[in-house]
Amino acid sequence: MQKLIEQLINGLTVGSFYALIALGYTMVYGVLSMINFAHGDIFMVGAYWGCFTISKLSDIGLTESNPALAIIIALIAGAFGSAITGIIVERLAYRPLRNASRLATLISAIGTSIFLEELVRLVPTFGSFIASIHFGDKNLFPESWSTAIIDATKTFGGAMVKTYPGILGTEGITVGGIVISYSRIMIMTVAVVFMILLYMLVRLTKTGKAMRAVSEDQETAALMGINVNKIISNTFFIGSALAGVAGVMMGLFYLQIRPLMGFTPGIKAFTAAVVGGIGNIPGAMLGGYLLGLIEVISVQFLPAIYKDIVAFVVLIIMLIVKPTGILGNSGGKSKL
Amino acid sequence: MKNKAMILEKLDRSILRKILPALISIVILSIPLFTFPQKNLWVRIIGYAGLYIILGLGLLVHVGLAGMFDLGFAAFYAIGAYSYAFLASPHFDIHIPFLIAILIAGGLAALVGVLICIPVLKLRGDYLGIVTLGFGEIVRMLLMNLSDFTNGSQGIMQIDKPNIFGFVFKESVYFYYLIFGLVAILLFLLNRIINSRTGRAWLAMREDEDVAQMSGIDVSKYKLLAFAIGAFIGGLGGAIFSSWQGSIFPDNFNMNVSINILCIVILGGLGNQYGVILGAMALIALPDILRGLSDYRMIIFGLLLIIMMILKPQGFLPRKAPQYEKKALPDKGKEVQS
Repeated sequence: MQKLIEQLINGLTVGSFYALIALGYTMVYGVLSMINFAHGDIFMVGAYWGCFTISKLSDIGLTESNPALAIIIALIAGAFGSAITGIIVERLAYRPLRNASRLATLISAIGTSIFLEELVRLVPTFGSFIASIHFGDKNLFPESWSTAIIDATKTFGGAMVKTYPGILGTEGITVGGIVISYSRIMIMTVAVVFMILLYMLVRLTKTGKAMRAVSEDQETAALMGINVNKIISNTFFIGSALAGVAGVMMGLFYLQIRPLMGFTPGIKAFTAAVVGGIGNIPGAMLGGYLLGLIEVISVQFLPAIYKDIVAFVVLIIMLIVKPTGILGNSGGKSKL
Repeated sequence: MKNKAMILEKLDRSILRKILPALISIVILSIPLFTFPQKNLWVRIIGYAGLYIILGLGLLVHVGLAGMFDLGFAAFYAIGAYSYAFLASPHFDIHIPFLIAILIAGGLAALVGVLICIPVLKLRGDYLGIVTLGFGEIVRMLLMNLSDFTNGSQGIMQIDKPNIFGFVFKESVYFYYLIFGLVAILLFLLNRIINSRTGRAWLAMREDEDVAQMSGIDVSKYKLLAFAIGAFIGGLGGAIFSSWQGSIFPDNFNMNVSINILCIVILGGLGNQYGVILGAMALIALPDILRGLSDYRMIIFGLLLIIMMILKPQGFLPRKAPQYEKKALPDKGKEVQS
């Protein structure tokens, strides 16, 4: 029993990551009916921004004196890093293709995915290149600037695995003999807070209303005076920011990040979005937690290496039994 | 005046249709005959691109012709490769002749294709893509984890070289001709299929599944047929790959392979069998051409994919409407005029 509850908590932690990433997939699918294949990489960029910020904060000693504040700053940095990446990707790689075939958009998304992975990997190379720009004998940047650029880019990215400073620790509270680490509590709380915020935004604000309108019918929404492009940008901003939050938390929890880290969580989060009903926001949350739990429970019965297969088997069974997902509806109702 | 333009247009088309393919085949076939620096490397690279043409033609049947979005094509490639490896290597100590083994490999891939197609017949578009993506990953992970049977991540070694009537394919040059020979046969057969009743049924299905069904096309049957044929071609490609490499590992068949093949089909022009050739050459040879840029080549490759799609979302060679549609229109116009 004790073990079961521990595993449930583990499943909810993993599920929090999946749910946060799945929200981005589902929102983009809601407004554009496209699978944002680069979403996993946007998530990865968030993790890198968080890592960069937290390393810098650790240099000035903030992670020692006030770890909570450091984590909040890192989360915000990761969220904005991802969100801005998301907006740029939408503007440059997806918007020109909005009327092209779905497959063209898909290829563009795959290209974006490769580009982002390589960009993060090559940041230090670009950094030393920029720092060494010179005209004749004169350098473009003074010596101190050059070192700063090289240092910063080296801290940010690179082909090697980056390590988060372990500020969360392994302590936790004990409830009835079960240890729940603070890190898990933090992850679950942050995820729930962001999901409630998102739900309020979509249901209660004017932007949310516009997003729902665009997801229901883009042309009619445009005729009603909604700036469709702006709403799509906003959707990418919000979805990517959530992925960024997930990225930073995953970094804090698992400590290691690398340029290709986005692929597996990305695919699993997509599974979660489909299980919950793609285009449906509560569905993505439900699907994320469900997938996390199923994965953790399956590990109890199967060798751990089959963990990744389980997600896909669930996906395939779900699609065969109820392709629209648990909460999805194929009717004309709003998808968000 | 009008006649002259028409003749010019016809001439233009006949040049494009007949001379260009002939020219391309001559160039491809004669490359290994010349000597130039790093010849072996280039023969390998172009031969490898040829292998991807085969795979691209297989996926073309799924995505381009039948309109079934497939993101897990590497699964069939893997099944073909492993079947051949089981049948012709010291792993189980079975050594079946190449021509029989390669057909069995293709057949097994086709069988699996049909088996996974049956439960997902109703799925469309992105959903089908995701199921096949999941299927591709499942196959790879099973190959990785069923260690007793597949030797896990250690892979299978010392796979037999093809031996056709006593002639042993030992060098890459022979594989080069083997691969392009198969490409030629496949192109011929695909052309026949595209212009047959089956091809027209696929076309109708691709344009609108419901309308096709209502016009009396047995959609399920043609879907299964498309999946079987595509998977068969993928299996052939896999068998050639494993006999060429001599050793195979589960990671040879990861999702990037599926995505690469899909990129080839789409870049070349969706539904155009000749576009696949162009797409494969561009996609497989490009990273090697860009090798001079060493570290930057993948980032440039990603960027080129995006730029290409923005400038030419239809691909290099968009699929043209079939001839019979074109002929019907001017005749009608004449009748109205007279």
